[in-house]
Amino acid sequence: MSRDNLIVVFQFFLLLFLQSFLLNNINFFGFINPNLYLLLIVIHRLDSNPTILILLGFILGLLIDLLNQGSGGHTIATLTIAFLRPYIVKFSFGVNYDLPMGMVKGSPLSQRLIYISTIILVHHLLLYSVIYFRIDNTLTIIKNTLFTSFFTFVLIYTSLGLFKEKND
Amino acid sequence: MRQLINALLRYRNTLLFSGLLIISIIFLNHRSFYHQSIFSKTSLAISSNFNQLVRNASNYISLSNTNEKLFIENANLKAFELIHFANESSEKNQIKTFNFQVFEARIIKNSYNLARNYLIIDKGHSDGIEVDMGVITSDGIIGIVNQVTTNFSSVISILHRDLKINAGFKKNGAYGSLSWQGNHPNKMKLNDVSTLSRVAIGDTIVTGGMSDFFPRGIPIGKVFDFKKPELEGYYDIDVELFSNLTEKEFVYILKNINKDQLNQLKNEPR
Repeated sequence: MSRDNLIVVFQFFLLLFLQSFLLNNINFFGFINPNLYLLLIVIHRLDSNPTILILLGFILGLLIDLLNQGSGGHTIATLTIAFLRPYIVKFSFGVNYDLPMGMVKGSPLSQRLIYISTIILVHHLLLYSVIYFRIDNTLTIIKNTLFTSFFTFVLIYTSLGLFKEKND
Repeated sequence: MRQLINALLRYRNTLLFSGLLIISIIFLNHRSFYHQSIFSKTSLAISSNFNQLVRNASNYISLSNTNEKLFIENANLKAFELIHFANESSEKNQIKTFNFQVFEARIIKNSYNLARNYLIIDKGHSDGIEVDMGVITSDGIIGIVNQVTTNFSSVISILHRDLKINAGFKKNGAYGSLSWQGNHPNKMKLNDVSTLSRVAIGDTIVTGGMSDFFPRGIPIGKVFDFKKPELEGYYDIDVELFSNLTEKEFVYILKNINKDQLNQLKNEPR
């Protein structure tokens, strides 16, 4: 168990620094910065304590906002997605899921795709809604959400593939 | 008690989430001016709509009282008009243009017991109100517009510790800055008046012409008490206001038509 915790802490800092020092400077097409740090929420053990996940999400979002001079959107979005994750798990894997490492092995591909894309879409929608925060900007919010979600999805799915190779 | 603890334990995730969400919204509010201004605008809109409901009801009850006050004010205005007509033929060379456009509005919220007081009035952007317009009442000044939504505006009251207004003596034009110390809604202090000019108890204080917000010569109050510190070159003057700001209902908003020109002059590099 303590080995698992150590791995989580290592992942936390790796994703945090990767996100704030590398990925946030990409500016693909001028506005797309994939948010790889969601990987932490995605691969976190599905049977772990939800309270810890909420705290983890809050601290992760807060640190990313502080490191990037963000206004606070990452904090709110990551906190909310960490809170909502049990419901998303039920929604995508069914009520009787029993897969502690569901994201890495033992679940159908379609369920995994639904799980990842729900998390990413909800997170980005929240993030951009908080950043723009006006009804007039709905179109910009939706455009940013869709494009960035796509690139985040590609990145996260590729990284999941790396994990799988290691574990098998 | 046990049930309470059980319920707390059961909903601990939701509670934790709500708590952290509030913390992050406070964080957002502190970090970003954009979000701060949107939050304050929204809260202004909500509170002003709510206050208007309450005000509408109480206004209906005090209609007869209001009518009476309006009659008195009308009578005063009529007198001024007559004086003006009487003098028009003899003083043709007097200033004919008046640089201020006047709007009327109703106060829907008025505070006077805080250290920094604000009012809310029921005219906004759609009625032509803009930020930095002066606001006066029938017998004195009351503040300056500081924030505008579509239908409402908030006004910094002169009963605000950080606001200073250019004011001077009616008799000789000596001027200083008028500020509120936060003690009594009827008493203000006039500072920076040079000891070279003469001051007597009972002198009338009017607005000075040096601010863009108010025209020269609106009566504000009278000298109530004054001290002459020995080592400084400035008087310490207590002013008693003519108008009772705690029971105002209607205000007039002044739009300075020439403000753009004034700003242009002020911003010119020297």
